Amino acid sequence: MKKKYLYYLLLFVLFPILAQSQVKSKLWYDGNARVMYNRDALEGTLKETDTVSTRSNGGGSTMLDLGFHFTPIDDIEIFSEIRLKNDFGGMWGNKNFVELRRLSAKGVVNNKIAFSVGDIYLKQTKFTLYNYDQELSKYEPSVFKFYRDFVNYENYYQSNYWRLQGLQTNFSYNMYNLIEQLDFDGFATRVRGQEWLGKPELLMLGGSAVVSLSNKVNLGSHYINAFEVLSSSNGTVAYYNPVLNTQLSYSGSLKDVPYKVLLEGGFSKRGWTGDSLAPQIKGNFMEASIHSKGKKGEINLGFRYVDTDFRSIGSQTRRINYNNTTTTYPYYSNDYTQRKVSLIDIMSDPNIYNQNLSTSLMNYNPMYSSVSPYGNATPNRIGLTAEIDNLDLTDFLSAKVQTQYFSEIIGQGTTHKRSFNRYALHSSLSLDKLLSLNKSLALEGSINLETVTRGGEDFEKIDFNSILYSGSISYELIKNFKIIAGAKVFYAEGNEFIAERDKYDQINDYSNNIYDSKETILIAGLQHHFTDDIYFTMQYNQFNVLDKTNTYDEFSLGRLIFMFNMNL
Amino acid sequence: MKNLKFLLLILPFFFASCEKEKIEGPSLNDLYGELNILESLSIVGDSADFSIGESIYFTASFSKQVDWTIRIKGINSGSVKIISGKSNEINQSNSTWNGSSTLLPFFIAEDCDLELTFEMHDDTIYNQVNVQSAKIYNNENTVLITDFENGFNPNFTGFFQAGCTKSLVTNGAGEGNKYLAQYGTCDWDWLIGYVDYFSDYWYDQEDLVNDPTKLYFNIMINGASTISDVSDLPNSLFKLEFYEDENGDDYHDASSEDRYDYEFDVDWTGWRMVSICYNDLIPPSSNAGDGIKHPDKIFKVRTLLLANPESGFAKADVDFLIWSFNAPILD
Repeated sequence: MKKKYLYYLLLFVLFPILAQSQVKSKLWYDGNARVMYNRDALEGTLKETDTVSTRSNGGGSTMLDLGFHFTPIDDIEIFSEIRLKNDFGGMWGNKNFVELRRLSAKGVVNNKIAFSVGDIYLKQTKFTLYNYDQELSKYEPSVFKFYRDFVNYENYYQSNYWRLQGLQTNFSYNMYNLIEQLDFDGFATRVRGQEWLGKPELLMLGGSAVVSLSNKVNLGSHYINAFEVLSSSNGTVAYYNPVLNTQLSYSGSLKDVPYKVLLEGGFSKRGWTGDSLAPQIKGNFMEASIHSKGKKGEINLGFRYVDTDFRSIGSQTRRINYNNTTTTYPYYSNDYTQRKVSLIDIMSDPNIYNQNLSTSLMNYNPMYSSVSPYGNATPNRIGLTAEIDNLDLTDFLSAKVQTQYFSEIIGQGTTHKRSFNRYALHSSLSLDKLLSLNKSLALEGSINLETVTRGGEDFEKIDFNSILYSGSISYELIKNFKIIAGAKVFYAEGNEFIAERDKYDQINDYSNNIYDSKETILIAGLQHHFTDDIYFTMQYNQFNVLDKTNTYDEFSLGRLIFMFNMNL
Repeated sequence: MKNLKFLLLILPFFFASCEKEKIEGPSLNDLYGELNILESLSIVGDSADFSIGESIYFTASFSKQVDWTIRIKGINSGSVKIISGKSNEINQSNSTWNGSSTLLPFFIAEDCDLELTFEMHDDTIYNQVNVQSAKIYNNENTVLITDFENGFNPNFTGFFQAGCTKSLVTNGAGEGNKYLAQYGTCDWDWLIGYVDYFSDYWYDQEDLVNDPTKLYFNIMINGASTISDVSDLPNSLFKLEFYEDENGDDYHDASSEDRYDYEFDVDWTGWRMVSICYNDLIPPSSNAGDGIKHPDKIFKVRTLLLANPESGFAKADVDFLIWSFNAPILD
């Protein structure tokens, strides 16, 4: 009997090996491995005055996300990703975690219709379903990139896709007359599951149809509809939010310079059935842009109009949830003050980020994002944008520039409208090329400036500006082994009104916030890239948050961090 | 294709012209703006004769929406009328005064001081208004039990403990000149005294409407806000008992007919109108009737002044006992 069990055990243990050896082409792996350790310590005057918090704290883990791709037949692929995690300080199974990170299947029906089920990544247009980047991440110098990659990876942010659960399918037809190609895409997802005595299930359906009239003209229509299923709860109120977006693009060339004109518009409706107090609001939007790519760089000019009442669950959900508690020193000082989410958390803390679509407009902090807190889908904006990308001034100097000028369509609480300006500049200087050095020596610098102004009487005036200076330098000591340093200095000054909204997103009050803040981030360390995807870095970071309005105590922190990252 | 390019060029300007006039959210001016009086307070219909249904209203306008309060105080009676609202304009629709009182006693023919104040703002506007003739509350929608102006009807029987007082007093009444003073200290019983107001002897002999949801009993009570040294609670406890004669034999049979009660602390000083809908009255646990309210069969109303015998002095004078239809007397 014992032998019988032994045979079963051997078969179980050896099955993956046997399976791989016999159907080798049908199982393959990928994933990510990471070892990370950091130690945070209070610095500055806080170190002396704060007798409640610990002087330092730290932690780390070894983590392996192992993805299995199994192809039972040619047209089907099953994918699962298992996370194995071992926090430092645990032994014999203590503080070890095994969790399923992703499970999905995809395939093709008769080589015509592709489908995916399970955990799927979805993106449509910037007004229907789009996961906008977190604030102040544009034009960030590359030495800070490992933090952003870490935050995005932990929150399942892949490009600008939202990770959802459901079914997605797409197919296309090629034709040979006026219409060259038809592309269809559809999905059905469950955004929120059933809650015991809670809200109803929230589903989202969507689809796209794109018609290529010629290789120059494309006409597309994109639609999503998020709605609660009333029968799935005991309640009598159900939310709905359909959004339609139509796009027309034309590609051409002028004096051998290619350009693409994109015109899009659409509308949304948002309300709650069964609630007589809930308003049904309808909003529309329109965006026109022209993009051209020349030998020296790319230019993009645009005009945007987004109505005050435009609501889109898929494109207005923000990444950062300012209500979340920070991981590092969530409370500090002898008053046990809750630390607000600040630039260091935006840069390095994955736990302040949000992975779920929100049915109402999420809070934002105008200090870090006031011009377009909800990306292109920010309601109540009309204005112009201009962007020059990959501008190669010389072979060793390149630059990127962005500028935006917006105004409110309707004033908030006043007939005077806010004016928003945003300027961003990034330049990259390859000193090794300039000085003909053998080893890489690169400098990067960027500026992000936002201003908000509003005229009128004293009680309604707004004069706010924020500016982020970022810079970095990296020098290659030996091949692929670099010494790196970077700095971010952020200022926010002035006043800005924050609208307080009720559960229907209707403004019911305002708070006039005064800002006078300075935040500093300094990093220095070593970084070695084995390949583009495999590297380690060891750094010392110093963070300082000073609120000169004296609402909060100065917060100073030093951090020693080591990270080994390997994308399999 | 040229047309398409032309369309692409002009569309942005079309949307740019789609600006709206309204504002989003509540007005900042209303919330944080300075209050300016654009149009000063005016009185329309001064020296009104309220007894024949005339009324007065006020006009003013302000630079913002604001919570405002008009307080009218009779110089002689001490009666107070409070009118309040939230708007940037005071006009006929939100400030009409028909001579009624918010705080007793009732207004009489007199000059009144008038104050207009604003919440969260220190500005106050003063004025004066004249009442040519006071409002008459007893009309076709009311049934007056007594206002004591013709004295205390001896058919209204009752009982007061030895040493406790029930007496008719002139001057200082809630309505008119006379009222019934009730006070005293009784250290051996909860009861200070009671009075039975038999329906056969009510001042008005009209029938009460037989719909308990539309009938209100109103009584003016003058409290002294006496607080017990023992329990730190108000001394004076007032109870109303309504006895029905359902079989029409001119007698309330406690073993078969309904009684309904209403009891409350007299924890205020001065006159106050207490109004209760007949439908909200509660039968005592010992009630032996069918529990169906028949206000048209009320046999008597009993008013009782009670106090904890350990707590000391109690006082609750009464005046102007009156039934009103559809609404309390001071609606």
